[in-house]
Amino acid sequence: MKKQACSIAALVAVSLAGCAVKQPQTAEEFRQAVAAGAMMTKTESYEVSRPFRAVAETFRKRAPECLRVSVRTVSQTGTSYQNILTEYTPTVVAGGERAELYVQQLHKTGVLYPSKPPEGGIYLFVADATPQGNRTRIQIYGPSRGYDVLHRAVRGWASGENLGCPDMTKIG
Amino acid sequence: MKLRAAAACALGLALLAGCSGGRKPYPSQAPENLSVRPSLSGVRAALHIHGVDAQCRTEYLGTLELDRPAVALGIPADRLSYLVFDFSGSSWLRGSHRMTQETLLRPRAGHLYEIAATYRENIYQVVVRELPLQDFSSCRPR
Repeated sequence: MKKQACSIAALVAVSLAGCAVKQPQTAEEFRQAVAAGAMMTKTESYEVSRPFRAVAETFRKRAPECLRVSVRTVSQTGTSYQNILTEYTPTVVAGGERAELYVQQLHKTGVLYPSKPPEGGIYLFVADATPQGNRTRIQIYGPSRGYDVLHRAVRGWASGENLGCPDMTKIG
Repeated sequence: MKLRAAAACALGLALLAGCSGGRKPYPSQAPENLSVRPSLSGVRAALHIHGVDAQCRTEYLGTLELDRPAVALGIPADRLSYLVFDFSGSSWLRGSHRMTQETLLRPRAGHLYEIAATYRENIYQVVVRELPLQDFSSCRPR
């Protein structure tokens, strides 16, 4: 299961990095790469009927509680053994007109990166919230496959309908 | 920082307890001031209970399987307890997995606590609600 997750993450990283271009080093570079159609990524936008301040506050509260996790994956076959420790680091930057949620992923063991990842790990997922009157617009940049639970969790936080945490062992 | 270390230690112990079969049933004490209502889909859940002393050191006290619609237990009032909700499952295709949600709780004497522990569609949540006990004298005729 985690092998699949790691493969997708590695593919995203490689596709974002291109052959000779370095990986996105900032959330803004990640947005640009995804918007330009990097392989295995997608953008998505939707509105929620909840004021921007409430959405920003939910991001600020739930992201560190739910997304600052480590996942260890051990898989073994007759010919191979993998032990991968993956750390996820969320960051929320909230201002008066925009709240940004980033999730970074860093494989501490078991994965070799083609180039040095940014501090905190590769950018995996970005959600931007902006006010639209009494509603809030959410713009998502992230993997197109395998991370549905993360997309759903952030949507639940934004709408206020489900404040639960995504099971990060289930991604991929 | 100490608390984090204690939490990490307790989590490690909890996982160790879960992995090694070293779990022991939690010896609930009277009065039962905590009611856990699990709502689960596709996973099993257990609650590991740890005592926490004044130096934030933890002691594993036992585990309750959350395999009934409501599980009642008693934990010491006016003292910190460290509760680790452990959601785990396995399948042939995806292997085994475990996710935990921890919380410190200092129950107040004379209060009941209701905890909803939910795991549905790979999203989990633990919500604690305090329910004050009401003396009969608070009843007013309408």
